[in-house]
Amino acid sequence: MMSQLPAAPGPAGGPAGHAEAELLASYAAGTAGTVAAWSVEAHLTACEPCRTALSERVDPERLARNRSVLLVRAALGDGGRTMRLLRRCGIPDHLLRLLAATPSLRKSWLLSVLGVLAVLAAEAAAVSPGWTPARVLAGLPRLQHPQILIPFLLVAPLLVLAGVAAAFLPRLDPAYQLTVAAPFSGFTLLLVRAVSALAAALALVVAAAFILPGPGWLPAALLLPSLAVCGLALAAASVMEARAAAIAAGTLWVLPVLLLAGRHLPLAIVHWRAQSACAAVLCICAFVLLMRRDRFELGWTR
Amino acid sequence: MGNQGGFRLRQEVRGSVRRAGSAVSADECDDVALLRAVARGDEESLAVLYDRHAGWLTIRLTRRCANPDVVDHAVQDTFLAVWREAGSYRGGGDVAAFIWGIGVRRLIDAIRKENGARRRPPWHAEDPQVVVSAEDQVLLGIEHGQLGQALAGLSPELRGAIEATVLDGLTCAEAAVLLGVAEGTVKSRCHRARAALRTALADPLGTPDGMPPRREAWGTP
Amino acid sequence: MTVELRTAAVSADGLCRRYGTIRALDDIDVTLERGITGLLGPNGAGKTTLLSILATVSEPDAGRVSAFGLDPRIAAERVAIRRRLGYLPQELGYHRHFTVAGFLDYMAILKEITDRRRRAGEVARVLAAVGLEARARTRIRALSGGMRQRLGIAQALLGNPELLILDEPTAGLDPEQRLRFRELLSDLPGNPVIVLSTHQADDIAAICPYVVVLLQGRVRFTGTPASLAATAAGRVWVADQRDTRARLSWRGSDNRWRHVGEQPPAGAETVPPTVEDGYLMLSDPAGTW
Repeated sequence: MMSQLPAAPGPAGGPAGHAEAELLASYAAGTAGTVAAWSVEAHLTACEPCRTALSERVDPERLARNRSVLLVRAALGDGGRTMRLLRRCGIPDHLLRLLAATPSLRKSWLLSVLGVLAVLAAEAAAVSPGWTPARVLAGLPRLQHPQILIPFLLVAPLLVLAGVAAAFLPRLDPAYQLTVAAPFSGFTLLLVRAVSALAAALALVVAAAFILPGPGWLPAALLLPSLAVCGLALAAASVMEARAAAIAAGTLWVLPVLLLAGRHLPLAIVHWRAQSACAAVLCICAFVLLMRRDRFELGWTR
Repeated sequence: MGNQGGFRLRQEVRGSVRRAGSAVSADECDDVALLRAVARGDEESLAVLYDRHAGWLTIRLTRRCANPDVVDHAVQDTFLAVWREAGSYRGGGDVAAFIWGIGVRRLIDAIRKENGARRRPPWHAEDPQVVVSAEDQVLLGIEHGQLGQALAGLSPELRGAIEATVLDGLTCAEAAVLLGVAEGTVKSRCHRARAALRTALADPLGTPDGMPPRREAWGTP
Repeated sequence: MTVELRTAAVSADGLCRRYGTIRALDDIDVTLERGITGLLGPNGAGKTTLLSILATVSEPDAGRVSAFGLDPRIAAERVAIRRRLGYLPQELGYHRHFTVAGFLDYMAILKEITDRRRRAGEVARVLAAVGLEARARTRIRALSGGMRQRLGIAQALLGNPELLILDEPTAGLDPEQRLRFRELLSDLPGNPVIVLSTHQADDIAAICPYVVVLLQGRVRFTGTPASLAATAAGRVWVADQRDTRARLSWRGSDNRWRHVGEQPPAGAETVPPTVEDGYLMLSDPAGTW
């Protein structure tokens, strides 16, 4: 492409040295003719002194401003592969950045959740002989003793609840006072954090449910109870203090599970009747949450 | 893949920017060495590259788009892209050309973002009164000769199309964004420009070097 | 000084706040104009409580606050105040895994600057103002105390607030940085209402045209630093020997004893009082550490 144009005049070209400077000046000012400009541009690629001379003609404040913005953006980075993917899905960048401050999305937290799930899985495996994840995935007959699932059923939704609670407990936000003093809507912040914590924890829990020796519908059946428990906690947080709300919601899950386990019906908690009850609870809580969203504006409580 | 790893490594860097072993000050390195340092995650080298190249890049981009905010965004995005993609520089050709290649594409993106697809961007059209001056002809006439005069004989729209597709190496779609016209218009302008150049070169109406060119013939947009 | 009749930009009437049986604030009336107001007082005087109420972070038990004509008891107006607010709390916790630039970016989002480029520009501006540009990529846990303090000041400056509330901003800064901080405050665009609390009387004397002294939850003095110093006029004297009748005395750098007290002895060599002397005279006569 460039070979179609004749070679640009070299630094020593031209009848007099200063004509080069005039040409550069007119190019910088935008008054050089097109063809003259082309030859300057072709020359620029190869000649460093001319590039430097040209750079001196730009407003230094403008250059400095762009430089500092560039260095800040380079320092911020773009958050990694996950963030880039989510950004391409259309989620606004500023909401994604808010997630960076959520404790329950940090690697350390997620690894701890994985750890707990691993312990539960190991415990279940120890109790049911001949069980391996491969057998479970292959759909081989599984459930010998429903009781072995009780710890998992008890703990799994609580893990999800813990993730969501971490999103709105004030004690876990070190810059809490600044968050309160900022105009950003407390409710939006809460939702963004809670939903992403929920999604992350739920993904892990459902994945664990797949490899446990339980009924085939166990993974799907965990969704509604987990969502209901988290919904309860959020709705309660609009009425009472945050920590109390989380504890209350957790208790409201633990009690029925233990009760049904006492009656030797541990899996009833994930039966369709219980599922519909969870769905109903979820709807009511969502409604309450929407109605009372102003109460999540942090700080001023009355 | 190698660069991806390098980029992630950069993100995990804790502590201050200074990296051990940077014995040579960034100022003394040539551009290729700077680019390699940037690929390793050295922010100071990025700053030095910026200091060396941002000025001429700003002016060169301003020739293609008069909106200074859009040009500022493009310059920032260019060096951000250099920060991320320094590893993709394969050592062929000047660093300046590498930066320009990134820069012009970032300008296209910035224009696209600025305008959507509806408004025309403020195309930095030449003032119709300005023709290639006699002095410029003297300067370039020896090198350009017939081709220069033939090019100068084109209307601004046709010259713009040639500049975007030939000189800047953009595709027709990209040139369309830059010029603010439809892609088909770009294609037809290039076609007409090449035809006009063929005519002008085959039948040299150009007078000996030093004479002012013919009156510009405006093509219809 | 021209006398202007104007409504105060920020005012508080009859503020009361208790923590259990302790009265942190007892019927406080404060008016703040554009420019710098200093809040002087010992630990436990109620400075932090007052500032957090003005910053809409906590609520008073009684009394009213008005900022730019807005009432923080109304939710929508509270948000409007927060849009014009920059706040540096006394004990600021940070997400320690954040980088400096990342933390400022996060705070800028909380201040509703949603455009990425504008955010980067703001972050760059405040980083330059506090001199932390070279540390943009440093993790907060790797910063020294003084740098963390500067970071706190930087986040308060985001968005060019009209009301800047700084609780002990110079704590942990070395003398040169305190001077640079004074320069920073003088350079702020838009002439905002600035209120800063401090223990350092010389900071007050240097940059605050207006000072409020809080002691045990009550306002004991409002006025210029010069008039605060003047309250101790004639009650500061030097002598070659220590005088036990003075409230406080110390041996100065010229090896003579400087005394501050109610009753200078007759014929004592009085010296011009400083702001510290005036402040001392306001505090409890029987007080010790």
